[in-house]
Amino acid sequence: MMNRRRFFYCAGSVAALTTAAGCLGDDDSGDGPDADDETRTTAENETDERRVAPDLPEIEDPPDAVYVPTHREAMQMLEPVEAGAYALAPMLSYPHPFWLVDGRETERVDPDGSPAVHLMFTLWDADTGLVLPVESGAQIRVERDGQEVGSPRSPWAMISQEMGFHFGDNVPLDEDGTYTVEVTLPPIGVRKTGALEGRFAETETATFEFTYDEDFRRAVIGGIEYLDEDLWGERGALEPMEHGQGGGGDEGDDHEHDDSNAHDEGDGEDTGHEGEDGHDADGHEEGGGNGQHEDHGDGHVPYSSLPPAEDYPETLLGDPETGDATLVTTLLESDTRLTDGSHPYLLVSPRTPYNRVPLADMAISATIGRDGEELATVDLEQTLDDEYDLHYGAELVDVQPETGDTVTLTVESPPQVSRHRGYETAFLEMPPVEVEVDMEVPE
Amino acid sequence: MSLPDRTGLSRREYLRAVVAVGGASALGACLAEDGETEDAVPGGTDDPESLPSRQHAWNDALSTDDDGNVQLPEHHVLVALSLVDDGEPTDEARETVETSLRTLERAYEWSNEGLVFTVGYTPAYFERIGSPTAETVELPEPTALTVREDPEPDDFDALLHLASDHAEVVLRAEEALFGEVEEVNGVAVETDLSTVFERLDDRRRTGFIGPGLPAEHTDTSGVPEEIPEDAPFFMGFRSGFRANQATEDRATITEGPFAGGTTQHVSSMDLQLETWFKQDSHRQRVSKMFSPEHVDEDLVGDIGEKLSTSSGVTDERIEATEEDARTRGVVGHAQKAARAREDGQPLLLRRDFNTVDGDRPGVHFLSLQREIEEFVRVRNAMTGADLAGNGVGGVQNNGILQYIFVNRRGNYLLPPRPLRALPSGDPA
Ligand code: HEM
Repeated sequence: MMNRRRFFYCAGSVAALTTAAGCLGDDDSGDGPDADDETRTTAENETDERRVAPDLPEIEDPPDAVYVPTHREAMQMLEPVEAGAYALAPMLSYPHPFWLVDGRETERVDPDGSPAVHLMFTLWDADTGLVLPVESGAQIRVERDGQEVGSPRSPWAMISQEMGFHFGDNVPLDEDGTYTVEVTLPPIGVRKTGALEGRFAETETATFEFTYDEDFRRAVIGGIEYLDEDLWGERGALEPMEHGQGGGGDEGDDHEHDDSNAHDEGDGEDTGHEGEDGHDADGHEEGGGNGQHEDHGDGHVPYSSLPPAEDYPETLLGDPETGDATLVTTLLESDTRLTDGSHPYLLVSPRTPYNRVPLADMAISATIGRDGEELATVDLEQTLDDEYDLHYGAELVDVQPETGDTVTLTVESPPQVSRHRGYETAFLEMPPVEVEVDMEVPE
Repeated sequence: MSLPDRTGLSRREYLRAVVAVGGASALGACLAEDGETEDAVPGGTDDPESLPSRQHAWNDALSTDDDGNVQLPEHHVLVALSLVDDGEPTDEARETVETSLRTLERAYEWSNEGLVFTVGYTPAYFERIGSPTAETVELPEPTALTVREDPEPDDFDALLHLASDHAEVVLRAEEALFGEVEEVNGVAVETDLSTVFERLDDRRRTGFIGPGLPAEHTDTSGVPEEIPEDAPFFMGFRSGFRANQATEDRATITEGPFAGGTTQHVSSMDLQLETWFKQDSHRQRVSKMFSPEHVDEDLVGDIGEKLSTSSGVTDERIEATEEDARTRGVVGHAQKAARAREDGQPLLLRRDFNTVDGDRPGVHFLSLQREIEEFVRVRNAMTGADLAGNGVGGVQNNGILQYIFVNRRGNYLLPPRPLRALPSGDPA
């Protein structure tokens, strides 16, 4: 029997529009939140048995940048499951719109009104707690009473402000009942370095169960937390969700960072360019500098958050912004373990503003210039490292960077990961950015 | 399996469903539905010499579409066979097989209007009869070819592929081979396979191909309404253009005792059509199936009607696959697979067809090539592991990988016609 303990995430750090009653897991969940009737224009019939998804308000004309959506998504958290080298935390919500990325364009996917769940999972390294933010062909099969429901699918790699990098899809179901989900996790093919080298080479399978019924629908639809309408479409982001451990969900409502969704542009990027302190690399070797490493363990679900720019060692070349993403760029000396030891390593770590969610499946190239001349252009390779996490890197073989050189980062294709609301207008048009080498790299 | 309920089904749907069921009752149902066809089916030949010596020589016998591309017959059955006796086959057994197959050739014209078929043998067969092919032809056991699959191997002995435009013909041919009918298209059935082979019913596979057929299956779970009305394949586009298929010559073994034969790979896969049709847009489907350039230049049309005898994947686009991954964030299946061409020529002769076996949408991907190793090479090109992480994902935006889920694989030797009856591994 699978672990069926449910716990709902609910209020986070926005002003508590919802009280514990909206946070459910308990029976009078159906009452739903009533705090903010005005914004719930169309989402009325809480008692309608057929209602499989809420009618969510739209934001007209959102900025071409990360923005605050109208609400926090309510979801059911299932107990994390381990499978070989992996751990994953399944999450379920009502089916809702999301956006596929097609080159530099997005394609909105709308649920079609039939019974379905938005099924998600966060996948991480069971050893280090590092979220694995790359798409390598995970598959899910859904069964009910031993019968496969629909065809297998490979859920989309997605980013959301609340869940960070995860896999998800609107998955059609048939009737109410208990469903079993089998997740197959093939080996991770991208370049892996450090403690991750050689790992995730086996296919693993994880299984979990959930119940789809009126209680579930009421809980997740009723549990939606609408934000103050003033905030809708403002630049900013919801804070990462805090995953409750244990029963009723720890709402974390004791700390209402009202500013969470109002990080001013830029003020999340307060790292400056003081690259000089970049030599404390060793301090990070055990992952201590990386917030997400700390909170793995019983019942905790890590969030894919990259270390802040100042935690990148060696020569921090800068953290320019493009398309509302930040490209933390650093140069590792030739003795770095990321190369074979004879050449320096250019490391670019693109992330979302505010929550520092890694941006996967991009293509980035770097052009080194000196005195107005191009010395070399290299393609950076997507790499997963236990210390630096997801980044794009290249060994600089043909050119020895010197102080005063420019490094032009060209985003050849923006992150091809699907987007939850609030991320779909950002990270698409990403013009080239330039940083300057301001520290001599020793021979 | 029981016969489908006739109500609510179009004639074609019903016939397709009847083929899937198979057996004498299916044949009866088929005749009741389609009684007049029997007379209309052209008869075969008493002169085996008049037939091509390659079993897989179908192209000249099949119809072509308006553009001149070979059209596969509408109905397909793959009958899995298991030897009744172990050990080196006797001359009598060989005689039985050959005579049974000749009965079909006498009964039906070698064409889509009549019947085309092949019989292929697995590595397990040569093992079982204690006669390895090591010296004659490379015939490896089927294995997983991608990291995303754990396929069941076709480890039975032989596979019969029957194809015809008439549902009744594939059914009757199968029944005749097993002595379930006394007569086939006016030819008496005197010998049948049942003393040599058993049919493995749970391995029987069926399918269909043709404009409009996929869209008739929207009642099947997992087949969305959005499938284009005229699409010949479940994924909504034409396929099998002349320029993108290996010629029969290119797929034929040229040396050794099996010269004139070929190798066959059969993989069976589920398709995720809900995502493909309800989430991806047409432009995404075109870029993932063909190439991003096909979108820019509007080369395809709804279902490929703008293409004629080629997929429109140029040498330049094939060359640019990596660049497309990096700069466009997406690569097409046709473009990726074409990277494995040799001297500009495709290596595979694909004869894949749609299926709803198991009541869900899928493909039985049947491919002929000179060597199994060539299939593996092309499949690797299609997987594009080299592209993953370089602008596209492991499966996402990486061709059509995200939508296919392989369940089975089988490798076969299709000997030339003179050796098709229970060949030894090294026929001197
Ligand atoms: C659902 C499965 C598949 C669909 C819908 C599909 C569809 C297509 C389409 C539309 C084309 C371009 C048009 C043409 O055929 O001439 C194509 C080309 C091709 N496909 Fe597939 N395909 C599938 C699976 C496979 C598999 C499993 C292989 C095995 C390696 C494969 C190998 C090829 C090859 C070799 C080409 C031609 C490349 C060239 O022009 O050289 N396909 N396919």
